[in-house]
Amino acid sequence: MAKPTQTPATVANPDPVQPRRRRMKDLRKQPGFDTIAWICLFLLYAPIAVLIIFSFNDNRSVVKWTEFSLRWYKAAFENDGIRKATVVSLQVAAVATVFSTTFATMAALATTRVRAFKGQTLAYAIINQPLMVPEIVTAVSTLAFFGIIKQVTGLSGIGYLMLAHTVFCVPFAYMPIRARLEDMNLTLEQAAADLYATPIQVFRKVTLPLMAPGIVAGAMLAFVVSLDDVIITLLVAGPGETTLPVYILGQIRRGITPEINAVSTVLLGLSVVLVSIFFLIGNTKRT
Amino acid sequence: MTTTTKHMAATLAAAVVLAGPAWAEGELNIYNWGNYTSPELIEKFEKEFDVDVSVDGYDSNEIMLAKVREGNTGYDIVVPSDSTAAIMIEQGLLAEVKPNEMENFSNMDPKWVDVYWDPGRNYTVPWQWGTTAFTVDKEVYDGDIDTLALMFEPPEELKGRINMLSDMPEVINAALRYRGYDRCNSNTDELRDITGLLMSAKEHWRTMDYATIEKLTSGDVDLSQTWNGAAMRARDQRPTLAYAYPKEGFTGWMDNAAVLAEAPNMENAKLFMNFIMEPENAALISNFARYANGITGSEEFMDEDMKNAPEIVMPEGAPAPDFVKPCPQEVTDLYNRIWTKLKQ
Repeated sequence: MAKPTQTPATVANPDPVQPRRRRMKDLRKQPGFDTIAWICLFLLYAPIAVLIIFSFNDNRSVVKWTEFSLRWYKAAFENDGIRKATVVSLQVAAVATVFSTTFATMAALATTRVRAFKGQTLAYAIINQPLMVPEIVTAVSTLAFFGIIKQVTGLSGIGYLMLAHTVFCVPFAYMPIRARLEDMNLTLEQAAADLYATPIQVFRKVTLPLMAPGIVAGAMLAFVVSLDDVIITLLVAGPGETTLPVYILGQIRRGITPEINAVSTVLLGLSVVLVSIFFLIGNTKRT
Repeated sequence: MTTTTKHMAATLAAAVVLAGPAWAEGELNIYNWGNYTSPELIEKFEKEFDVDVSVDGYDSNEIMLAKVREGNTGYDIVVPSDSTAAIMIEQGLLAEVKPNEMENFSNMDPKWVDVYWDPGRNYTVPWQWGTTAFTVDKEVYDGDIDTLALMFEPPEELKGRINMLSDMPEVINAALRYRGYDRCNSNTDELRDITGLLMSAKEHWRTMDYATIEKLTSGDVDLSQTWNGAAMRARDQRPTLAYAYPKEGFTGWMDNAAVLAEAPNMENAKLFMNFIMEPENAALISNFARYANGITGSEEFMDEDMKNAPEIVMPEGAPAPDFVKPCPQEVTDLYNRIWTKLKQ
């Protein structure tokens, strides 16, 4: 019985693949493809390039070039406000990453390593809710909600900000972990169970090592998303809890100096490094 | 045993409560506009009173107000602009700390005591004040610059070379002044006239943008509506710029330090309010933020280039700056309609 069903599948497979591949090639050869692609790339990256170039400007201006200098990097490094904001940003991002990745891992296991259950789609939707709801809505409701909690408990501190970040980082960590789990073959875990491994042993020796790349990718996404957040942080942050993006935003009304360009360049570099690692891990483990 | 412990605890608690105001050790949390608080000023306050100060920045009155309204922000000092200060006092968000009974109150320039947002100064202390008019390149246009006509009916040289603030009250108030109409206006005929004026002037405007220093120094425009402190900084990089004091009038504004009603460190906040009314300390704020401060005697301690800056020292004969109260909702609605039409 197995053979007849298998052969048509293997025979049928190459056929739909080929036209799809041809269509991909066709798309690239559409008239104007190159032009449109270059315009898009230019519009996306030209402002960033300008920002980076002017971070090396000797002048106080962010629009008029004089000569190359690293003085704004030095100024940014010596600026107390920027230093404090960087430390806060990294602290919040680190805590939010650890907790959101842990929760996301548990959620991913609970939605893939079980028999399909009623309300599974609803569970996905709820986990991914922070992606769907406009950030300003989350921000305003969190502000009001935390206001009530502070009123009742009298507690304050950076914990609120970390909690808020953890919550909106969960779906970003969840997606790559779930994708990894869905890619993984169940046979290894079943084989381990057949060999009398307890569920905990199966998880520690088989499932966890296999899903590790997904977890690392999720953690890095969560870290970058937390580092970049403005709106929620702006409304939730209390005294001494200014993060780097919020600090930068506060400068704009009073005139920007290349100091901000320098900090933005460093921030950009950090994001690029993390995202690159994320892709490298994703690619090496899949092959 | 237990009773003695209880006694001791009670005595200790009482001592702490009593000692608090006297020594004012502890913390102070300031929530001010970004890049507006002199680090030197903070350092000096920390040393003098042995207080740990944290400073956070906001970029608009609205964000600050939204957070304060929700309560339990943890902040002690905020710095609202004049109309926002009026709203905050009315809504009971500020503590009546009576700066007018403080030791350094005598330093406050008398003309800043009976202000519309806080008559007699029961709640607030001046932080910085300035004007909103416009700055223009004298090399491009060499006629009389002290008139709003340059923005609304520009001469040939300035057509298409103008940046306006992307700020509804500033643009509409300038138009009202140019026509000689009242502020917070709900007269339909006058507003229709203003709309026509703005629509025809818009033909000659290149941009509407808050980044006025960048617009002027890059040479993108030759005239920009702007604040006096920003005009001074733009002049550093483009020396041919001159700040105008239009004869039809211009906006005055003041940012004010105030203590929140729910301030966790009330006593330190009061100390800070008194501290910034000291001329030497007010000068520290001005040297950093580059605006005037409203404390007499502070000029002495200000940087040389600020003492004589035409943007800071108003010339004789310039009209008094016009401080605009918050308008009633129906007027704001009318303004919003004009603004939407203008921005289309």
